[in-house]
Amino acid sequence: MSNLSKAALFLMVLTFASPVSTFAQGTGTSKYKCMIQMTNYMGEGAYVVISLINSKGAYDKTLYVLGSDKKWYKTLKEWNKFYAKKPSNISAITGASVTGGDRSVNVFEIETSKINAGYKLRFESAVEDKNYNVKDLEIPLTTETLSGKNEGTGYIRYVRFSPN
Amino acid sequence: MTISIWRYSHLALAVSSFLLLTLASLTGVILSFQPLSEKVYAYRADKFDEITLAQTLPVLKQKYPEISELSVDANQFVQIKGTDANGEKLSAYIDPRTGEILGHPEKKSAFFEWVTALHRSLFLHETGRFFIGLTAFLLLLISISGTILIIQRQRGWKRFFTKIVRENFAQYYHVVLGRLSLIPICILALTGTYLSLNRFGLIETPQVSSKIDFDAIRSAPEKQIEDFDIFKNVKLSQVKTIEFPFSEDVEDYYTLKLSDREVTVNQITGDILGEVKYPATAVFTEFSLDLHTGRTSALWAIVLAVASGNILFFIYSGFVIMFRRRRNRAKNKYTAKESEFIILVGSENGSTFGFANSVYQQLIANGKTAYMTELNAYKDFPKASHIIVMSATYGMGDAPTNANHFASLLHKYPQEQPVHFSVLGFGSHSYPDFCQFAFEIDNLLSKEKWAVPMLEIHTVNDKSPQEFGEWITTWSQHAEIPLTVSAGFLPVRQEREEVLTVIDKTEVSGPGEDFLIRLRPKRGTKFTSGDLLAIYPANDHRERLYSIGKVGGEIQLSVKLHDKGLGSDYLYRQQAGSVVRHARIVGNAHFHFPEKASPVIMISNGTGIAPFLGMIYERRPGTDCYLYCGFRDQQSFSVYRQALDQNLEEKKLGGLQVAYSREGARQYVKDLLARDETFVADALVKGGVIMLCGSLAMQKDVVSLLENICQSHLKRSLSYYQARSQVVMDCY
Repeated sequence: MSNLSKAALFLMVLTFASPVSTFAQGTGTSKYKCMIQMTNYMGEGAYVVISLINSKGAYDKTLYVLGSDKKWYKTLKEWNKFYAKKPSNISAITGASVTGGDRSVNVFEIETSKINAGYKLRFESAVEDKNYNVKDLEIPLTTETLSGKNEGTGYIRYVRFSPN
Repeated sequence: MTISIWRYSHLALAVSSFLLLTLASLTGVILSFQPLSEKVYAYRADKFDEITLAQTLPVLKQKYPEISELSVDANQFVQIKGTDANGEKLSAYIDPRTGEILGHPEKKSAFFEWVTALHRSLFLHETGRFFIGLTAFLLLLISISGTILIIQRQRGWKRFFTKIVRENFAQYYHVVLGRLSLIPICILALTGTYLSLNRFGLIETPQVSSKIDFDAIRSAPEKQIEDFDIFKNVKLSQVKTIEFPFSEDVEDYYTLKLSDREVTVNQITGDILGEVKYPATAVFTEFSLDLHTGRTSALWAIVLAVASGNILFFIYSGFVIMFRRRRNRAKNKYTAKESEFIILVGSENGSTFGFANSVYQQLIANGKTAYMTELNAYKDFPKASHIIVMSATYGMGDAPTNANHFASLLHKYPQEQPVHFSVLGFGSHSYPDFCQFAFEIDNLLSKEKWAVPMLEIHTVNDKSPQEFGEWITTWSQHAEIPLTVSAGFLPVRQEREEVLTVIDKTEVSGPGEDFLIRLRPKRGTKFTSGDLLAIYPANDHRERLYSIGKVGGEIQLSVKLHDKGLGSDYLYRQQAGSVVRHARIVGNAHFHFPEKASPVIMISNGTGIAPFLGMIYERRPGTDCYLYCGFRDQQSFSVYRQALDQNLEEKKLGGLQVAYSREGARQYVKDLLARDETFVADALVKGGVIMLCGSLAMQKDVVSLLENICQSHLKRSLSYYQARSQVVMDCY
């Protein structure tokens, strides 16, 4: 057996052994650890949603949602339109909201094929009774941005990634 | 205005906030169970306070290489976040010594979340938060005004925790529980207000964060994290959160968020990269949250639950008290100008109105024109023939708020026609200034030319129905208006009437002269000098009262024989050996011989000497007694002379002064007292007692004299001594 088929077999075993697949329909995905560091704003915890944006500027997929109370989702206006149209099960990729000055470290998966392929990562944020930021941070999904530090424009001070 | 500014504020604040306050307390009671419900999980490590970071961090770092954050909650449960060996998200409570997983954080109870949102913002976001914050502030003001009311009620803050007079359930427990839960409620209100102010940015709490000089970060010498000095020194109990370095890069570092500061630590060398203290306001915000929620202590959470529950009770009992007061307000059928009977009320909390109202209703039911109002509404009453004053006393013997202008009004509006007056004081012997203000009114009225005393001042201790009933009975006898006392106030009429045997009686030459009669009650009958003997000469409702002197264990009365007098005729007809059947002894404790005081100055005119004869006869050794008595002439005094001379001889009586109004210098007893005013003033200073018995006319004269003596020698009002039972009277 070639090394390649050995690896494929190994990955197949992993697929069936682990409850959450690291592969989806044979397409390769990568896990990234993502740290969001918030600015010292005053107020309630921020709701932040991380989405994959395709080359046409439209929502492709929800990667992570910080904030678990559905009643605030409508404050993330643009994303909510997409989410309302194409509801998906996001319970596995939902975490707690983050307050000013705090940081949040989460892990999400990205299909490897979409890196360096014209896609973007969008960080959208909203705080109760405060401004809504459609693009608190939007960066091209490239190997370069995934290894650097990316400054936010709203409640987010910066975002860092590391391969997991 | 019937209520003081504090009472008014207390009520106005409570009324304006009770809806939100009810909601906040109700949700508050529920929320106090949240810390309790959390503490049932025993995730707290033993001897938690001793664990240092140097003990726990290496264990965790080894066991969970992908740990990103550690946090310690108010229950001192240690929670970690990160990813596990399989790259899956990890969030768990752990044992800080072993790193062992104890449990997983449960999703916050939706119910408590819901109640919290209601408690904080009424589901109205900022608007709701504003109203809740305002409610907290109002609660603070309510507590402050309530505290001041308690201090006033208790006559000074030193007596804050002394006994409270019980009027009724709502009032009593409103005050009792108010005192007990005052501190927790104040803390709740204060922290709630602070948190709201903070929330709206009115108190500045700048967020701080460490500034790091990345050029100065060193990557050597490398140290093990268990050897970092900062980790050795910081205990887990000081920690709120620890953020682990995001990667192994030297520019990533540990961030320790402690209770009072934030410290950043180089992950390789253990150097402290930066340290910022949190502003005091931020620390105080945390402390306020601890106090307001009870999250750090189960015991405090229970105290808060009880305090919140009490607020609900205060709202209930406060309204009961308010409605009760409103019910007592007067609704007059006739105007002040057309009424014959004027009832003036002095009341701080409205309860005296209840008594006044029952009299008012009776008068109206009897077809009389009556008008009831507060003492501050005193003016001229052109048709009045009777004024009844019913007044409580407030504070240190002061006027209640609705009576504080009475003295000047009385001076301003003299009545055109003679008016009979009677004063009834309400008070409690639990306070030192018993009925002082009522005594003061009585004295003020005595000085007015138009005012005709109808009855001696009466007092009602602790709303005693008996005492009130006695006053009603006496008043209705004098006014000749049959007041059927309502059942609640009915005095308990002694069922068993005394059977008295006449022992002796002196003879007179005709009407207008005094005679002495001695009666022997049945064995074992308890009575003492100063008590009254009620006689029913015709065995009907007509009652005649005589002051008793206890001489040789027998009742001695001194009676003036009136022409066709119902009582005096009846008694004079009795011969030695005959039996008086329809009589009863009425206790009159306020006019008993003082237990300890010395000296005792006794003042009488005419037959008012009767109780003193008994008192002198039974005088306790060590008490000096002086008698000032007034008579028409030598002849009318002669019946008492022998006994008194004997008393002087036996040194039972220290001095005897007799004034004759129709003979010699033509003096009244008040003239003798005016001559000896220094002696009288001295007696009061020494704690002595002045006793007055005789006609109301004599009382009127003596009272104004005594008032002058008190003002000029002692710089106090006579009512001060009356309230302390140093001046007592029993006149008719």
